[in-house]
Amino acid sequence: MKILIAEDETELQNSIVTYLERDGNVCETACDYFEALYKIDLYEYDLLVLDINLITGNGLDILKVIKRNKSKTPVIIISANNSLDDKLEGLDLGADDYLTKPFHLAELNSRIKAVLRRGKFGGTERIEFNEISIDTNSRTAYVDNIPIVLTRKEYDLLLFFITNKGRVLSKEIIAEHLWGDNSDLADNFDFIYVHINNLRKKLTEAGGRYIKTAYGSGYKFMED
Amino acid sequence: MLGSSVMLYYYLRVILRTEVEEELHSTESRLEKSIEEGGEVYQLPPIVEVKKVTDLNKEILKDTLIYDPSQDELEEFRELSTFSMINGENYRITVRALVVESENILLAVVLSYLVIILVVFVFLFYLNKSRNQKVWHPFFRNLDQMKSFSLTSEKPIVLMESDILEFSEMNNEITTLTNKVRTDYKNLKQYTEDVSHEMQTPLAIIQAKIENVINGEMLDNDQFVQLTSIQKDIQRLSQITKRLTLLTKIENNQFLNRERLDISSKMSETIHDFSEISTINIDFEIRENVWVTMDPYLAQVLCSNLISNAIKYSSGRKNILVTTQQGQLTIANPGESSIQRPEMLFSRFYRESDGAKSTGLGLAIVKRICDLYGFSIAYYFERGMHYFTISFS
Repeated sequence: MKILIAEDETELQNSIVTYLERDGNVCETACDYFEALYKIDLYEYDLLVLDINLITGNGLDILKVIKRNKSKTPVIIISANNSLDDKLEGLDLGADDYLTKPFHLAELNSRIKAVLRRGKFGGTERIEFNEISIDTNSRTAYVDNIPIVLTRKEYDLLLFFITNKGRVLSKEIIAEHLWGDNSDLADNFDFIYVHINNLRKKLTEAGGRYIKTAYGSGYKFMED
Repeated sequence: MLGSSVMLYYYLRVILRTEVEEELHSTESRLEKSIEEGGEVYQLPPIVEVKKVTDLNKEILKDTLIYDPSQDELEEFRELSTFSMINGENYRITVRALVVESENILLAVVLSYLVIILVVFVFLFYLNKSRNQKVWHPFFRNLDQMKSFSLTSEKPIVLMESDILEFSEMNNEITTLTNKVRTDYKNLKQYTEDVSHEMQTPLAIIQAKIENVINGEMLDNDQFVQLTSIQKDIQRLSQITKRLTLLTKIENNQFLNRERLDISSKMSETIHDFSEISTINIDFEIRENVWVTMDPYLAQVLCSNLISNAIKYSSGRKNILVTTQQGQLTIANPGESSIQRPEMLFSRFYRESDGAKSTGLGLAIVKRICDLYGFSIAYYFERGMHYFTISFS
């Protein structure tokens, strides 16, 4: 996938590029408003990660230009502004998702994939991982084409694992993905064990082994 | 007034008396003179009586009562009797004057004086009152303005102009002072918001770098634990700044959206969300639905902050109890003892126990939301439970 990252903080920009390129994506960067405008005008991208507060202009104006040009490039906004109004304004203007800084790269990655799925295949793509497959439209998971019953959180967890396969996911990241701001209530993350164990059982012996423990307290979804 | 009229009374009396006496003396000396010149001895009882006597006595001045047949009553007279030898004969000359008339004059004078004084007094009283009202009107109006002045509202204080120098000086001072306070307050809020906002990007950079480190080189378990612990602290810092921004926004009155909503159903959604995270059970009882008019987002913040507070500070195995009834929402969580300083409970960054999990802002936000909509919130501790009750009416 070809992704443009319009973010004026080069440090953050580099970190995002590093993370996304590991998945085989091609990333280009724009450091300010004009560079971003120039690049979206010149090239086609599969996705645009857009910071609202670019030094030389407002990211929302870039979004307006994209929508005016009837471009199909999906946009994920990243903003330091947590306000609901800004979020709604961004989504109203046609952004596909809105992420508040600071965010986990794994979270950004999973949002990017969700947006790409929705855009490319009308939201009916099946995600496959060996014998496991997920229909993101009906929110159903299959093992060897037999549907398995998952709770909402177990489904989210499985999707998060598969979209970030091969990555080390700390319990903090998982908790924040599943429960957002409320995850700070989790003192010992016992409930994550519970969910992960349930998920392992439901994926049966074969599927369960993909969820591996990393560094004692983190998780990693990968083949043997 | 009374004193002055008494004084006036006595003063006038003395004057009248001396006047009467002088008149008596002068009449007497005229009589003497006429007798001396060999004129007829003039008699007009009881006013003038002249008698020949054998002995010469001392002059007598006294009051006396004499019957007046024309008026058929006893009248008071002032009487002067002198003895003098005229042309070799001894005479007693008695002259009298009616005192009653002078007493009447005296009374009339004093009475009219009293009436005048009273009228003047009443007039001045009302004049003064109306003048005072007019003069002090701007002062009292401005006083009311100052009482109703609120820092949190954006409006500047509007004072009534006054022609009186002291008042207008005071107005100027008050206006300058309140403007200064308002700008300071605004700057402080802006500062909080800016700091919170500016902190998010560096936090995002730290967060992203840590994640790349975790996914890059092989680490040992200890390094991983350290790094995830940093992630946790970043999250906490980010929570604090987000909540500070929220507090500032509530104070700035930036939530203008108002909807009529059922707190009971908001609560039940919130409890459902939290039940997946927490191992503590929450008993929710809707005795009556509670309808309120407020921003739906703030309603959600209110519910989740209250529940998360209850979960954080629950101890023991007892359940959290949540009830809605009669315009009230009550949340009770088990605890060992009452809060030591309940008055501080809703202040920002106030924590009593180990606050590692808490930002110390949750209840401050709850309080702000309540203040914004005029809800009242109360805390009490009873039989091993902390109770928080919000009255929405």
